[in-house]
Amino acid sequence: MIFKKNWKKDWAVCANELSKLYPVDWTQKRLHALDRLDLYVRRGEVFGLLGPNGSGKSTTLKLILGLLNPSSGSVQVFGAEAGTLEARRRIGFLPENAYFPAFLSGREVLRYYGRLVDLAQRKLWKRVEELLELVELTAAAARPLKTYSKGMLQRIGLAQALLNDPDLLLLDEPTAGVDPIGARQIRDLILGLRARGKTVIFSSHLLEQVQEVADRVAILHRGTVIQEGTLEDLLSVREQTQFTVSGLAPVARERLEEWLRGEGAEVLEVTHPRERLEELFIKAVEKRR
Amino acid sequence: MGNSLRHIYAIATNTFTEAIRQRVLYVLVVFCLVMLGGSSFCTQFDFRGDDFKFMKDLAYAGISVIGLLVALLGAALLIPAELERRTIYMVLCKPVRRFEFIAGKYFGLVALLTLFVVLMAGIFFLALWGHESALTGDILAASKGRPTELQAQMIAEYRAAAYDPALVQALVLLWAKLCLVTVISVFLSTLASSTVFIVCCTLLVYLIGHLQSVAREFWLEGTVAAAWYTRAFLAALALTAPDFQTFNLIDEIIAGNAVLWSNTLPVLGYAVGYAVVALALAALVFEEREL
Repeated sequence: MIFKKNWKKDWAVCANELSKLYPVDWTQKRLHALDRLDLYVRRGEVFGLLGPNGSGKSTTLKLILGLLNPSSGSVQVFGAEAGTLEARRRIGFLPENAYFPAFLSGREVLRYYGRLVDLAQRKLWKRVEELLELVELTAAAARPLKTYSKGMLQRIGLAQALLNDPDLLLLDEPTAGVDPIGARQIRDLILGLRARGKTVIFSSHLLEQVQEVADRVAILHRGTVIQEGTLEDLLSVREQTQFTVSGLAPVARERLEEWLRGEGAEVLEVTHPRERLEELFIKAVEKRR
Repeated sequence: MGNSLRHIYAIATNTFTEAIRQRVLYVLVVFCLVMLGGSSFCTQFDFRGDDFKFMKDLAYAGISVIGLLVALLGAALLIPAELERRTIYMVLCKPVRRFEFIAGKYFGLVALLTLFVVLMAGIFFLALWGHESALTGDILAASKGRPTELQAQMIAEYRAAAYDPALVQALVLLWAKLCLVTVISVFLSTLASSTVFIVCCTLLVYLIGHLQSVAREFWLEGTVAAAWYTRAFLAALALTAPDFQTFNLIDEIIAGNAVLWSNTLPVLGYAVGYAVVALALAALVFEEREL
């Protein structure tokens, strides 16, 4: 492995031949959740973990956090063994379908988790207010979490993951159950973190959203990586070319097509670009705000 | 060390806050108010001068039952719920050691238990004061403020029974006993995820704890011939189960017998020692648990 020599310098996460077996029942049967998985995530990149249900995405994230122990193999986070205090100090985590102490308010829950990441009281209170503002929950900060919508809970989850200003953010299905505007906010937040040099690993089923933010992706299936690379490498169709032009008259278009054919190219499709449904939805809702 | 204490304090205060905001606890408070109020009402019947003894018996039984419910349900509900709702991930993904989580949960429950015991004791002392005032008031009214020697003696007896400082001693012992039940419940909740299982097992240990001294005597004295496995079983019980019979001092105090603090302190020391060992074991088990 070429990366193993330099991982301390270049990699935020390095999972090496990582396997995880779960007992199925009281017999000796074991379920292979992960099977000798190799995963290397560069510092400062946004990394998407894709895969169908049960492919091992959540297990991978839990192993990076040290919530689970690997059956074999190892994971390192910024050079420290996964699960150690040193590693966890640099991680922020948002679990899938995050639940919180329902009787606490948004502000109380952030203050509680902030005390666990060793922020001094004055600094913590300031940080909590900043984060509430960042996730646009200042107005609802005094309300108990049991009155929050799914999207609001997800945003408070994101806020708690950012309390320690982590170098690595792990997000398990961050946009699950969130409306398109909330999803857009989360996307912008991820892009903002990348601009600040933070590393983000996230799992998602929403492929279009992954495509929008991820620098690299890994596709997991039955606990192994079946494809990995930058989106450019994975998605480009190199033998085809696409132009998007404006103000092209029909006559000019016909002449262009003819010229292309004369050059030996085959014109496969000539269409008008369409607006994406998500863009349309956000524009429509924001106009009404 | 400083960080550990801060984490334990944060988790304990959160556990306490979360618990007192749950409605089920208010039901328990109302129940205890009704019961203690009822004890005062029952003294209207003739207890042949044993009114105060009756009130104390009823109050201590009530505090024991309610405290036992808080101790049992607190740990059995809170820790499995954290696992089931996955709120535990949010804590343990932060630089928090697992023993800090367990200790925080335990001390949060102990704080809750302390609040309950103090609250119920406060109501109980109010009920005692009310009854004593009523009885002495009657005597003073009948004697027009000039009680006879016999009446003065009766007043002194009532006051001695109502304001007996040994009752505090009994309350401290009762509180320590309930803290011991809580630590067992916390330990079991690190092993299992089912609330029903944890409650049943804790109750079983509670019952065994009242027979522990019998097992210990049988094992140590060995006067009766028994198979090796019976002896081994009894030895295991004697070594692992808490000895709840040492808390029988509470009954002595309620019965009006003098119990010295020099007899009480070793019992409290035993409770602290057992709790420390049980918490350490719980932390060890929880350290290895997959979440």
